[in-house]
Amino acid sequence: MVGTQSLRLDVEAFVGALIAESVRALADAAYAQPQDMTVGVSAGDLEDVERTRGGDSDAYRRLIERYQDYVAGILWRFSRDRRDHEELVQDVFVEAYLGLATYRRKAPFQHWLARIATRVGYRYWKERARRRKMEAFNLEQWDRATENDGILDALEPDHAATLLYNLFEQLPPRDRLVLTLRYLDQCDVAETAQRTGWTKTMVKVQTLRAKRRLQNLVQRTGTELIR
Amino acid sequence: MNWEQKIERLAVRARAERPPKVDVAQSVLEMLTAGQAEPLTVAERFWMWLAAASSAIAVPTAAIAFALYVRSAGPLSGIVEAISWATK
Repeated sequence: MVGTQSLRLDVEAFVGALIAESVRALADAAYAQPQDMTVGVSAGDLEDVERTRGGDSDAYRRLIERYQDYVAGILWRFSRDRRDHEELVQDVFVEAYLGLATYRRKAPFQHWLARIATRVGYRYWKERARRRKMEAFNLEQWDRATENDGILDALEPDHAATLLYNLFEQLPPRDRLVLTLRYLDQCDVAETAQRTGWTKTMVKVQTLRAKRRLQNLVQRTGTELIR
Repeated sequence: MNWEQKIERLAVRARAERPPKVDVAQSVLEMLTAGQAEPLTVAERFWMWLAAASSAIAVPTAAIAFALYVRSAGPLSGIVEAISWATK
Protein backbone atom coordinates (compact mmCIF):
# COMPACT_ATOMS: atom_id res chain seq x y z
CA MET A 1 0.00 0.00 0.00
CA VAL A 2 2.85 2.31 0.93
CA GLY A 3 4.48 1.45 -2.38
CA THR A 4 1.29 2.33 -4.25
CA GLN A 5 1.01 5.67 -2.43
CA SER A 6 4.62 6.50 -3.20
CA LEU A 7 4.03 5.60 -6.85
CA ARG A 8 0.94 7.83 -6.90
CA LEU A 9 2.99 10.70 -5.47
CA ASP A 10 5.64 10.11 -8.13
CA VAL A 11 2.98 10.14 -10.83
CA GLU A 12 1.45 13.35 -9.46
CA ALA A 13 4.87 15.02 -9.35
CA PHE A 14 5.58 13.82 -12.87
CA VAL A 15 2.23 15.10 -14.17
CA GLY A 16 2.83 18.42 -12.40
CA ALA A 17 6.25 18.79 -14.03
CA LEU A 18 4.78 17.88 -17.40
CA ILE A 19 2.03 20.49 -17.09
CA ALA A 20 4.59 23.12 -16.08
CA GLU A 21 6.70 22.22 -19.11
CA SER A 22 3.66 22.46 -21.41
CA VAL A 23 2.78 25.89 -20.01
CA ARG A 24 6.36 27.01 -20.61
CA ALA A 25 6.22 25.71 -24.21
CA LEU A 26 2.98 27.61 -24.81
CA ALA A 27 4.54 30.75 -23.34
CA ASP A 28 7.49 30.33 -25.72
CA ALA A 29 5.05 30.02 -28.62
CA ALA A 30 3.34 33.25 -27.58
CA TYR A 31 6.78 34.85 -27.36
CA ALA A 32 7.20 34.25 -31.09
CA GLN A 33 4.60 36.88 -31.92
CA PRO A 34 4.33 40.40 -30.54
CA GLN A 35 0.79 41.22 -29.44
CA ASP A 36 0.39 44.91 -28.86
CA MET A 37 2.33 46.78 -31.52
CA THR A 38 0.31 47.81 -34.51
CA VAL A 39 2.01 50.92 -35.83
CA GLY A 40 4.96 51.45 -38.12
CA VAL A 41 4.49 48.39 -40.32
CA SER A 42 6.28 49.14 -43.58
CA ALA A 43 4.49 48.31 -46.82
CA GLY A 44 7.83 47.40 -48.42
CA ASP A 45 8.57 44.94 -45.62
CA LEU A 46 5.12 43.38 -45.91
CA GLU A 47 5.52 42.92 -49.62
CA ASP A 48 8.96 41.34 -49.20
CA VAL A 49 7.68 39.07 -46.44
CA GLU A 50 4.84 37.90 -48.67
CA ARG A 51 7.19 37.34 -51.59
CA THR A 52 9.60 35.43 -49.33
CA ARG A 53 6.76 33.22 -48.19
CA GLY A 54 6.07 32.58 -51.84
CA GLY A 55 9.66 31.37 -52.33
CA ASP A 56 11.28 34.57 -53.67
CA SER A 57 14.83 34.51 -52.29
CA ASP A 58 15.58 37.99 -53.68
CA ALA A 59 12.85 39.39 -51.46
CA TYR A 60 14.48 37.80 -48.42
CA ARG A 61 17.85 39.14 -49.51
CA ARG A 62 16.32 42.63 -49.53
CA LEU A 63 14.96 42.13 -46.01
CA ILE A 64 18.36 40.93 -44.78
CA GLU A 65 20.18 43.83 -46.40
CA ARG A 66 17.67 46.29 -44.95
CA TYR A 67 17.97 45.02 -41.37
CA GLN A 68 21.36 43.35 -40.98
CA ASP A 69 22.98 46.48 -39.50
CA TYR A 70 20.12 46.87 -37.05
CA VAL A 71 20.38 43.23 -35.97
CA ALA A 72 24.18 43.51 -35.83
CA GLY A 73 23.77 46.48 -33.48
CA ILE A 74 21.60 44.46 -31.12
CA LEU A 75 23.89 41.45 -31.17
CA TRP A 76 27.04 43.47 -30.59
CA ARG A 77 25.72 43.78 -27.02
CA PHE A 78 25.66 39.99 -26.81
CA SER A 79 29.03 39.12 -28.33
CA ARG A 80 32.09 41.26 -28.85
CA ASP A 81 33.86 38.49 -30.72
CA ARG A 82 33.54 39.37 -34.39
CA ARG A 83 33.23 35.80 -35.61
CA ASP A 84 30.64 34.82 -33.02
CA HIS A 85 28.84 38.08 -33.67
CA GLU A 86 28.54 37.43 -37.39
CA GLU A 87 27.33 33.89 -36.76
CA LEU A 88 24.69 35.19 -34.37
CA VAL A 89 23.46 37.66 -36.99
CA GLN A 90 23.21 34.78 -39.47
CA ASP A 91 21.32 32.68 -36.91
CA VAL A 92 18.79 35.46 -36.45
CA PHE A 93 18.00 35.63 -40.16
CA VAL A 94 17.83 31.84 -40.47
CA GLU A 95 15.43 31.66 -37.50
CA ALA A 96 13.42 34.55 -38.87
CA TYR A 97 13.08 32.78 -42.21
CA LEU A 98 12.01 29.51 -40.61
CA GLY A 99 9.52 31.29 -38.38
CA LEU A 100 8.17 33.66 -41.01
CA ALA A 101 4.71 32.10 -40.71
CA THR A 102 4.49 33.43 -37.14
CA TYR A 103 4.97 37.02 -38.29
CA ARG A 104 1.41 38.31 -38.43
CA ARG A 105 2.05 41.79 -39.82
CA LYS A 106 0.65 43.60 -36.77
CA ALA A 107 4.07 44.75 -35.61
CA PRO A 108 6.93 46.25 -37.57
CA PHE A 109 9.19 43.57 -39.00
CA GLN A 110 12.07 45.29 -37.21
CA HIS A 111 10.48 44.72 -33.78
CA TRP A 112 9.85 41.10 -34.60
CA LEU A 113 13.51 40.71 -35.61
CA ALA A 114 14.62 42.45 -32.38
CA ARG A 115 12.79 39.81 -30.36
CA ILE A 116 14.42 37.00 -32.29
CA ALA A 117 17.84 38.69 -31.97
CA THR A 118 17.37 39.03 -28.21
CA ARG A 119 16.38 35.38 -27.94
CA VAL A 120 19.37 34.26 -30.03
CA GLY A 121 21.76 36.45 -28.02
CA TYR A 122 20.36 35.28 -24.70
CA ARG A 123 20.68 31.66 -25.78
CA TYR A 124 24.31 32.35 -26.69
CA TRP A 125 24.98 33.78 -23.22
CA LYS A 126 23.30 30.83 -21.52
CA GLU A 127 25.41 28.42 -23.56
CA ARG A 128 28.60 30.27 -22.65
CA ALA A 129 27.60 30.43 -18.99
CA ARG A 130 26.92 26.70 -19.03
CA ARG A 131 30.39 26.08 -20.43
CA ARG A 132 31.83 28.72 -18.09
CA LYS A 133 33.39 30.55 -21.03
CA MET A 134 33.90 33.95 -19.45
CA GLU A 135 36.54 36.57 -19.87
CA ALA A 136 38.58 37.14 -16.72
CA PHE A 137 37.62 40.44 -15.20
CA ASN A 138 39.51 42.48 -12.69
CA LEU A 139 37.66 45.01 -10.61
CA GLU A 140 40.73 47.22 -10.82
CA GLN A 141 39.62 48.05 -14.38
CA TRP A 142 36.31 49.27 -13.01
CA ASP A 143 37.97 51.24 -10.21
CA ARG A 144 40.37 52.93 -12.64
CA ALA A 145 37.71 53.78 -15.23
CA THR A 146 35.27 55.22 -12.74
CA GLU A 147 37.79 56.97 -10.51
CA ASN A 148 36.57 60.42 -11.49
CA ASP A 149 34.30 62.20 -13.97
CA GLY A 150 37.16 63.26 -16.22
CA ILE A 151 38.37 59.72 -16.82
CA LEU A 152 34.82 58.45 -17.30
CA ASP A 153 33.91 61.06 -19.88
CA ALA A 154 37.18 60.63 -21.76
CA LEU A 155 36.73 56.90 -22.08
CA GLU A 156 36.58 55.64 -25.68
CA PRO A 157 33.11 54.26 -26.52
CA ASP A 158 34.45 50.79 -27.29
CA HIS A 159 36.38 50.71 -24.00
CA ALA A 160 33.28 51.75 -22.09
CA ALA A 161 31.21 49.12 -23.91
CA THR A 162 33.82 46.41 -23.27
CA LEU A 163 34.03 47.34 -19.61
CA LEU A 164 30.26 47.11 -19.17
CA TYR A 165 30.17 43.89 -21.19
CA ASN A 166 32.83 42.27 -19.01
CA LEU A 167 31.23 43.57 -15.83
CA PHE A 168 27.75 42.28 -16.72
CA GLU A 169 29.26 38.98 -17.81
CA GLN A 170 30.07 38.23 -14.18
CA LEU A 171 26.33 38.01 -13.48
CA PRO A 172 23.88 35.23 -14.40
CA PRO A 173 22.50 35.52 -17.98
CA ARG A 174 19.04 36.65 -16.78
CA ASP A 175 20.52 39.53 -14.80
CA ARG A 176 22.82 40.37 -17.65
CA LEU A 177 19.94 40.50 -20.09
CA VAL A 178 17.80 42.94 -18.12
CA LEU A 179 20.79 45.14 -17.30
CA THR A 180 21.95 45.22 -20.91
CA LEU A 181 18.47 46.13 -22.14
CA ARG A 182 18.03 48.70 -19.36
CA TYR A 183 21.37 50.51 -19.53
CA LEU A 184 22.65 49.95 -23.06
CA ASP A 185 19.46 49.71 -25.12
CA GLN A 186 17.56 52.08 -22.81
CA CYS A 187 14.51 49.81 -22.76
CA ASP A 188 11.83 50.56 -20.20
CA VAL A 189 9.84 47.78 -18.51
CA ALA A 190 7.33 47.42 -21.36
CA GLU A 191 10.03 47.31 -24.03
CA THR A 192 12.07 44.83 -22.02
CA ALA A 193 8.97 42.66 -21.63
CA GLN A 194 8.42 42.76 -25.38
CA ARG A 195 12.03 41.98 -26.21
CA THR A 196 12.35 39.13 -23.71
CA GLY A 197 8.82 37.72 -23.83
CA TRP A 198 8.66 37.97 -20.02
CA THR A 199 5.77 39.54 -18.13
CA LYS A 200 6.19 43.13 -16.89
CA THR A 201 6.11 41.89 -13.29
CA MET A 202 8.85 39.42 -14.03
CA VAL A 203 10.93 42.13 -15.68
CA LYS A 204 10.53 44.40 -12.64
CA VAL A 205 11.48 41.65 -10.20
CA GLN A 206 14.39 40.51 -12.34
CA THR A 207 15.66 44.08 -12.73
CA LEU A 208 15.60 44.66 -8.97
CA ARG A 209 17.51 41.44 -8.34
CA ALA A 210 20.00 42.17 -11.10
CA LYS A 211 20.65 45.68 -9.84
CA ARG A 212 21.21 44.39 -6.32
CA ARG A 213 23.71 41.82 -7.57
CA LEU A 214 25.43 44.42 -9.73
CA GLN A 215 25.67 46.79 -6.79
CA ASN A 216 27.26 44.05 -4.67
CA LEU A 217 29.68 43.38 -7.48
CA VAL A 218 30.88 46.91 -8.12
CA GLN A 219 31.07 47.81 -4.46
CA ARG A 220 33.78 45.26 -3.88
CA THR A 221 36.94 47.28 -3.92
CA GLY A 222 40.55 46.56 -4.62
CA THR A 223 41.92 44.15 -7.17
CA GLU A 224 39.82 41.10 -6.53
CA LEU A 225 39.66 38.87 -9.56
CA ILE A 226 36.13 37.81 -10.36
CA ARG A 227 35.65 34.50 -12.05
CA MET B 1 28.64 59.77 -7.90
CA ASN B 2 27.08 56.46 -6.81
CA TRP B 3 27.58 53.13 -8.52
CA GLU B 4 24.45 53.43 -10.68
CA GLN B 5 25.35 56.90 -11.91
CA LYS B 6 28.75 55.50 -12.91
CA ILE B 7 27.06 52.69 -14.83
CA GLU B 8 24.76 55.24 -16.53
CA ARG B 9 27.72 57.40 -17.52
CA LEU B 10 29.58 54.40 -18.89
CA ALA B 11 26.48 53.32 -20.78
CA VAL B 12 26.21 56.76 -22.40
CA ARG B 13 29.79 56.38 -23.64
CA ALA B 14 29.15 52.77 -24.72
CA ARG B 15 26.07 53.74 -26.74
CA ALA B 16 28.25 55.98 -28.90
CA GLU B 17 30.07 52.90 -30.15
CA ARG B 18 29.46 51.85 -33.74
CA PRO B 19 28.92 48.08 -34.10
CA PRO B 20 30.94 46.32 -36.81
CA LYS B 21 29.40 46.15 -40.26
CA VAL B 22 28.25 42.73 -41.39
CA ASP B 23 27.13 41.39 -44.71
CA VAL B 24 25.37 38.09 -44.14
CA ALA B 25 22.80 38.09 -46.95
CA GLN B 26 24.69 35.72 -49.21
CA SER B 27 25.76 33.33 -46.44
CA VAL B 28 22.24 33.18 -44.98
CA LEU B 29 20.69 32.42 -48.35
CA GLU B 30 23.34 29.75 -48.98
CA MET B 31 22.63 28.18 -45.59
CA LEU B 32 18.91 28.15 -46.30
CA THR B 33 19.41 26.68 -49.76
CA ALA B 34 21.89 24.04 -48.51
CA GLY B 35 19.53 22.97 -45.74
CA GLN B 36 16.53 23.14 -48.06
CA ALA B 37 14.83 24.95 -45.23
CA GLU B 38 11.32 26.10 -45.89
CA PRO B 39 9.30 28.31 -43.59
CA LEU B 40 6.63 26.30 -41.80
CA THR B 41 3.16 26.83 -43.18
CA VAL B 42 0.19 27.46 -40.90
CA ALA B 43 -1.04 23.91 -41.53
CA GLU B 44 2.36 22.45 -40.66
CA ARG B 45 2.49 24.48 -37.47
CA PHE B 46 -1.00 23.25 -36.61
CA TRP B 47 0.02 19.61 -37.04
CA MET B 48 3.21 20.23 -35.09
CA TRP B 49 1.31 21.69 -32.14
CA LEU B 50 -1.35 18.96 -32.37
CA ALA B 51 1.39 16.31 -32.18
CA ALA B 52 3.00 18.08 -29.23
CA ALA B 53 -0.34 18.41 -27.43
CA SER B 54 -1.17 14.73 -28.10
CA SER B 55 2.17 13.68 -26.64
CA ALA B 56 1.66 15.95 -23.66
CA ILE B 57 -1.69 14.27 -22.96
CA ALA B 58 -0.64 10.71 -23.82
CA VAL B 59 2.34 10.52 -21.47
CA PRO B 60 0.53 11.50 -18.25
CA THR B 61 -2.47 9.38 -19.27
CA ALA B 62 -0.20 6.34 -19.59
CA ALA B 63 1.41 7.14 -16.24
CA ILE B 64 -1.97 7.48 -14.52
CA ALA B 65 -3.26 4.29 -16.17
CA PHE B 66 -0.19 2.45 -14.92
CA ALA B 67 -0.73 3.77 -11.40
CA LEU B 68 -4.38 2.71 -11.48
CA TYR B 69 -3.40 -0.70 -12.77
CA VAL B 70 -0.89 -1.16 -9.97
CA ARG B 71 -3.51 -0.11 -7.42
CA SER B 72 -6.21 -2.39 -8.83
CA ALA B 73 -3.76 -5.26 -9.20
CA GLY B 74 -3.00 -5.11 -5.46
CA PRO B 75 -5.99 -7.14 -4.12
CA LEU B 76 -5.76 -9.54 -7.04
CA SER B 77 -2.16 -10.33 -6.31
CA GLY B 78 -3.19 -10.87 -2.64
CA ILE B 79 -5.69 -13.50 -3.71
CA VAL B 80 -3.15 -15.16 -6.00
CA GLU B 81 -0.66 -15.28 -3.15
CA ALA B 82 -3.29 -16.67 -0.80
CA ILE B 83 -4.00 -19.63 -3.08
CA SER B 84 -0.45 -20.13 -4.20
CA TRP B 85 -0.33 -23.33 -2.14
CA ALA B 86 -2.63 -24.84 -4.78
CA THR B 87 -0.05 -24.44 -7.51
CA LYS B 88 2.69 -26.10 -5.45
